[in-house]
Amino acid sequence: MQPDATLISRVLADAGIAVSVEDQRVVGPVFRVPASDAPSALRALKESSHSYSFLVDLFGVDTGEAIDVVYHLRSYVFDEEVHLKVEHGYGSTLASVWELYPAALMPERECAEMFGLSLSGHPNPKRLLSTDAVPPLLLKSTLIRTAEEVRNR
Amino acid sequence: MTLLVGILRVLAALGLMLANGVVLIYMLRKVLGRLHLRLGPTELGPAGMFQTTADVLKLLTKEDPTPTHVDKVLYFIAPAIVFVPSLAAYAALPFSSTWTIANLDLGLLYTFAILSLVPLGVVAAGWSSFNKWSLIGAMRAVASQVSYEVPMLLAALPPVMIAGSLNMGDIARAQDGFVWFWLPCLPAFLLFIMAGLIEVNQTPFDMSEADSELVAGYATEYSSMKFGLLFLAEFSNTFIFAALLVTLFLGGWNLPLIPDEILFGIGAPVIFLIKTYLVIFVFMWIRGTLPRVRIDQLLAFGWKVLLPLSLAWVMVTAVGVKLWPVLLGGVR
Amino acid sequence: MSDPRSIVSHAGWLTTEPPAEPVTLPASLKRAPSGVNELMTEHLVVNMGPQHPSTHGVLRVLLELDGEEVITGEAVVGYLHRGIEKLAEHRRYNAVGTLMDRGDYVTGIMNELAFALAAEKVAEIEVPRRADWLRVLLSELNRLASHLVWYGTMGLDAGAMGQFLYAVRDRENLLDILEDVTGQRMMFNYVRPGGVVNDITRTAEVKIHRFLKTIDRYLDEHDELLGGNEIFQGRMRGVGVISKEMAVAFGLTGANLRASGLSFDVRRDRPYSAYEEMKFDIPVAEEGDCYARYLVRMAEMRQSVRIIRQCIDGLPEGDFTAKVPKILRPPAGEAYAAVESARGELGVYLVSDGTENPYRMRYRPPALFALQAGEALLPGVMLADAVVILGSLDFVLGEIDR
Repeated sequence: MQPDATLISRVLADAGIAVSVEDQRVVGPVFRVPASDAPSALRALKESSHSYSFLVDLFGVDTGEAIDVVYHLRSYVFDEEVHLKVEHGYGSTLASVWELYPAALMPERECAEMFGLSLSGHPNPKRLLSTDAVPPLLLKSTLIRTAEEVRNR
Repeated sequence: MTLLVGILRVLAALGLMLANGVVLIYMLRKVLGRLHLRLGPTELGPAGMFQTTADVLKLLTKEDPTPTHVDKVLYFIAPAIVFVPSLAAYAALPFSSTWTIANLDLGLLYTFAILSLVPLGVVAAGWSSFNKWSLIGAMRAVASQVSYEVPMLLAALPPVMIAGSLNMGDIARAQDGFVWFWLPCLPAFLLFIMAGLIEVNQTPFDMSEADSELVAGYATEYSSMKFGLLFLAEFSNTFIFAALLVTLFLGGWNLPLIPDEILFGIGAPVIFLIKTYLVIFVFMWIRGTLPRVRIDQLLAFGWKVLLPLSLAWVMVTAVGVKLWPVLLGGVR
Repeated sequence: MSDPRSIVSHAGWLTTEPPAEPVTLPASLKRAPSGVNELMTEHLVVNMGPQHPSTHGVLRVLLELDGEEVITGEAVVGYLHRGIEKLAEHRRYNAVGTLMDRGDYVTGIMNELAFALAAEKVAEIEVPRRADWLRVLLSELNRLASHLVWYGTMGLDAGAMGQFLYAVRDRENLLDILEDVTGQRMMFNYVRPGGVVNDITRTAEVKIHRFLKTIDRYLDEHDELLGGNEIFQGRMRGVGVISKEMAVAFGLTGANLRASGLSFDVRRDRPYSAYEEMKFDIPVAEEGDCYARYLVRMAEMRQSVRIIRQCIDGLPEGDFTAKVPKILRPPAGEAYAAVESARGELGVYLVSDGTENPYRMRYRPPALFALQAGEALLPGVMLADAVVILGSLDFVLGEIDR
């Protein structure tokens, strides 16, 4: 289930990528790579002997300082899962990895629209779920009316 | 006097068609209801009998919006082009040896000729609607018509050859005292059923209005009584086709072992209608059960199976009809 | 030669070389008569949906048709977007289940369970054994109900109508049971972090026993009615083939993945709740076509019945919920929990910052990935096949749009 953190770090380091490992309490090791290296890191993981060929999920988290884009990968060969985090500044560009993982096509569009990122290298970089002029919903700075506010209106 | 009789006959055909439509729609709802573990209409009248009448009234009184961009002339004529042939086709049906609206010597040919106009109306409806689904439905109607019409005519030939007449009354009469034609023409009988299912747009072959693919096919843009006419024509076609099947293969108004004289009068048309409705029931049964074939499967089936088989059976029947008197030692 | 395409034979005729790239005419020339295209044929762009009888919700597929053949298809989603992920950031942990129900509205219990598992992981709550068993029992009942909906609509997509109402008959019994236990037919709000809301009722147990008496016969009936039908098989066999590689590349999970020959089931490979204690098989098919997906789901329904039998027979005594504070404040951390919902792996990635609301809740919709694969299968199939392929992948738009 949880991968060998040193092994994954070595695979990434061999590909010339600066990687840092955060040990999460529940999820286990989470690997953080710079935004510019994300596609090459994914390629290294996919082509490594562990063959992380399955993209479980791709989503963003607004940490308050930046947007963490999480790539959740799985290897059906070794039955392991890897979480890869990439930090993106607000309004920056998300490089598409759909050629490595076609599964990323729609999640990338969703992630970009929900966090106000722009997409590069995507064959269909339209918004997925909402229409134009809807603010990036999942940013913490986008406020919605809470139930209490509606009630006390 | 002849003019008056003529008008009365046309009115009789119209009345028969409308009554049939109402009865068949009710029957379809009830039969499908039974097949689908539900009740069908129950509220209006005993056992929901007047539900269809109410629906007809609703269709008549509904607002009839015309979509923009339609080809107005064709859009308005198309339901009539579909409706009129299926009304006219009632003319040659033999309800008994004396009851027929027009006793035509070429009755069978006339019926087929007039029914082949129906897809023309379907195409007109689909083309003029300015709707892509309608257009695809219309194109499918053409494609399936081309592939089923020939086998259907060929499948109707063996009974004609045995009876030696194109008059439908004569064909039914020829089965009196003789075995009904479905047995000597069994392959033609089955081929005719299949081709007929395609003709009446029934579920395994309801190409031109495949609801899960084309929304409602050629009828998508129609509403109120224009839709009602398309709908009615469909049911009337079902009735005509079932009546043809009964006449050609199932002995017309005859019953086995009972000679024609006893059936004379009111009994014969009733038997004819009962048989027709039984055939329609089987169609509805098929409709409630089977999934739909794909259009290319249908076309391949039409050209590769139906057509050669029906041609082959025509030849077999031709030889059989020639040999039959020889075998019986010249009795016939 | 302006258009070097072969007129008589197609490009792959009598050659093993890959076919040459088709020549695409510029848009301005499309209507101009050329030597080959004398009929001046045009492609037809149609909108399948958002209001179309067979799009399973509010899906719009933009189809480019050449006659009956699909050239390209693009799925346009978002008509049901309610911002569940955003709303979850403003709800307490106990209330998020309500939102999860409205994701994939056919498999509410499993959605709630995914969130509850993630919350329990991050808050480190131990769930009583009886609660685990109840969760499994209700999950399987719900899976059966969901597969029955799929079975019914699959037939509708193929043009048959009868089996839908037969499927609904059985689903009605299931919803009856679920209503008895949870108080709701679809939006259950039953599984909470720490356990379940209330114990199973006596009447529900009776109903389950009654249901189990008939379901085997009914499943045989379903199999005969649709699966044994030659027309149906003709529509399904060899249509929409997803290879194992494609299934992995497009992130397919659940029955869609198993129909392509990869045996991965969250219930067995990442066991949660009481699935470790259950005996069940994982049906797998190799072909990867629509019929394989049909067979896998039908076999799964029988396995669900098997699990329900084990659950109702061996339901352990004990509490149905752990002692959980009314306002749950899990320590900061991140957790990923997945359940095998009826559509595949439904995951919840939960980020907690120590407050009473989740900081971020990511709902991994298995149907979204299935839709992508369906979109990729569309080019080159017939229009009627497109409907069947999309139907066989079994997606629910409420989940895709969230």
